[in-house]
Amino acid sequence: MLSRVAESLYWLSRYIERTDGMLRMLKINYASSQDAISEFSWSPVMRLFCDPNDDGLDGMEFNSRAVLQYMVTNKENPNSIVNIITLVRENARSVQDHITKDVWQCLNEYYHTVKDPRLNVMLKKDDPISVLDILIKQGMLFYGTTEITMARNEGSSFMRIGKYLERSIQSVNILDIKFGSVDHNPDLLTNTSYWKHLLFSIGGYELYLKTYRQGFEAENVLDQVVLNNEFPRSVIYSINQLFKYFERLKRDGHITAGNLAFLIGRLQSKVKYSSIKGLKKGDLHLYLAEIKSELYGIGNAFNQTCFNIY
Amino acid sequence: METKSYTKSYDLPENTWDEMFKDSETVREAYKTVMDYLDLESTEELNKKEELSKVLFMSQGITFTVYNSGEGIEKIFPFDIIPRIITSDEWCFIEKGIKQRVIALNLFLKDVYSDQFIIKDGIVPIDVIYSCPHFLREMVNVKVPHDIYIHIAGIDLIRDNDGTYYILEDNVRTPSGVSYMLENREITKRLFPDLLPQCKVRSVIEYPNVLYNNLLSLAPHDVADPTIVLLSPGSFNSAYFEHTTLARLMGIELVEGPDLIVEDHKVYMKTTAGLQQVDVIYRRVDDDYLDPLAFNPTSLLGVAGLMNAYRKGNVTIVNAVGNGVADDKAVYVYVPDMIKYYLNEEPLLKNVPTYQLGNAQERAYVFDNISRMVVKQTNGSGGYGMLMGHASTEEEIEAYKLEILKDPRQFIAQPTISLSSAPCYMQGKLQPRRVDFRPFALCGPNGIDIIPGGLTRVALKEGSLVVNSSQGGGSKDTWVLSK
Repeated sequence: MLSRVAESLYWLSRYIERTDGMLRMLKINYASSQDAISEFSWSPVMRLFCDPNDDGLDGMEFNSRAVLQYMVTNKENPNSIVNIITLVRENARSVQDHITKDVWQCLNEYYHTVKDPRLNVMLKKDDPISVLDILIKQGMLFYGTTEITMARNEGSSFMRIGKYLERSIQSVNILDIKFGSVDHNPDLLTNTSYWKHLLFSIGGYELYLKTYRQGFEAENVLDQVVLNNEFPRSVIYSINQLFKYFERLKRDGHITAGNLAFLIGRLQSKVKYSSIKGLKKGDLHLYLAEIKSELYGIGNAFNQTCFNIY
Repeated sequence: METKSYTKSYDLPENTWDEMFKDSETVREAYKTVMDYLDLESTEELNKKEELSKVLFMSQGITFTVYNSGEGIEKIFPFDIIPRIITSDEWCFIEKGIKQRVIALNLFLKDVYSDQFIIKDGIVPIDVIYSCPHFLREMVNVKVPHDIYIHIAGIDLIRDNDGTYYILEDNVRTPSGVSYMLENREITKRLFPDLLPQCKVRSVIEYPNVLYNNLLSLAPHDVADPTIVLLSPGSFNSAYFEHTTLARLMGIELVEGPDLIVEDHKVYMKTTAGLQQVDVIYRRVDDDYLDPLAFNPTSLLGVAGLMNAYRKGNVTIVNAVGNGVADDKAVYVYVPDMIKYYLNEEPLLKNVPTYQLGNAQERAYVFDNISRMVVKQTNGSGGYGMLMGHASTEEEIEAYKLEILKDPRQFIAQPTISLSSAPCYMQGKLQPRRVDFRPFALCGPNGIDIIPGGLTRVALKEGSLVVNSSQGGGSKDTWVLSK
């Protein structure tokens, strides 16, 4: 497979995963802003998905509608959904002969949906959750269409690698920011709705109820999001999947492994054999930061080993 | 539900061959089934179909982008829902005529790049060849596989007011539009369910397979499992949709210049697993941009060293390099003579009478009669740089004459041919618009195949004779009927 094609597939898949995470996060945060008695701060969400040096963010922290418009339909914001989906489509357009016609049409429709000017009007005046649901559904259509129509070949391996790398980075980021807020406000540690809210935003609430019977505890939430291999958004699940598709590429002779095998294997062991319960409060941030930097290292290694060899 | 007869409101143009109507009362035999079908539909129904066609093009991304005040706007190529029909007898004639012409043009290319008998025998003047910017000295004495230069030809046909077909121009470099032949048909299937089989319309679906098999057979002879790629200028090219469609339908790799590299006179593509040798390149990049070492040195679209690999026979380029000398508008004049010279046959499809402005006498005649002429640049395309004598002002004509006098060789003139009209569905009724026709011929070692169908281009502006998509043209599905 052409390096350029592999890179485009990898990125389009990363971008879709990113928008999916963003949309779910926006949806749950908006919903809980409707529950809030005091002013609801969007600052954690903005830190997660926007450039911290972005001037456009000023004065937006407590204004739900402004944040939603900025993050979904604003073309000035390079990290807005509309801009990311445009990148997805550009990537897809240049590899149309490697994705099925169904997948292409699905992404093309996603693009036209998010470009529709009516969306912005709805975000301004109507129920924003309907808008977010429309977009989340487009993303789910993509996942389903890919699952049903795409051949399980080199291209789909690169797409999955992109997807799981992005997902694990997101999960680590979310944890880091959520636990970071605890440092400033220790009351949050025992605030049930704070952790419930985190689980909702990454779709892990129901699984949590079934797994941990003793109510909402920060430690258990951490355990699920990092170490529970049954939870599709957990760090360990994502890394295991990443490893699996990397192994597949290697086995079929599509890539020369280089130090990728070492990097992925090391991270996998590190996460697998870490003990969350033993971590002290201060060490958690360090631990998450290490995982994040190793994930970035893996991203760079793919870049050097597969996409930009010549 | 109100139905109405679309025949009555049709405003048949004078002195023009209409594809559907023999006269204001009578519908031609081939169109009867379609017309009966239309007459049963209300305008609401037809409007709905028109809307559906737009939605289908949009959702499939069959669009091009127009950049306006920094904002990219997606547009679809206009499509008219009423098909254009060609009877089996007409098709039989067209097929023979195109085959004859393509065979002659191919022999001409082989000749002009080797022995040049046609020049020595005085059939084509030497200065016509050597003044053509598309005649490439780099191609002289280069041996191409099976002596095939023209692998894909898109030859444009028009019809005069008595219905006679004429050759408007030969496109033997990188003719485009075939994806619209394929997509228009897919859309028609959705718009008019069951009508295609009722009318016994021949299928166009074989095109990618035939082309793919030809490409396979053109690989340098010692390669067992050849790698075939389609070389595109990239996603900003207006025909990019076509490139991806063809690559997908043939299952070949779509590459851009930077994906390829030449080492030791061999062409490779850069893959995740290392370099992989390329044997056949179906290129949609013009000659000028193919190789910065041989041609335009500023081109980023091509591959440095490609021409050397080609000359060594390590890679096949489709269509061959240097074909532009065969579809040059000044050389066009000599094609009927070529057919006689190489094949000893009378040309089946006629040329439009053409005056060469390089010739003083002909130039004088054209200047005297310029209001009845269309003047074109010999190496122009896309309908740009043309002068339509009947529709131009005094000043425009004078200015254009000055342009001509600067370099008369670069211009030809043809009497205005009216082009046949075909009904288009617009604003709730059928309205006549001018059309041409581009069938696609594929040449391989086993002969020439012409897929029964093609691209009908239509001038959507009332009274306009310019069908190019860059100038307000659209397209129609083209049905070739079986016997």
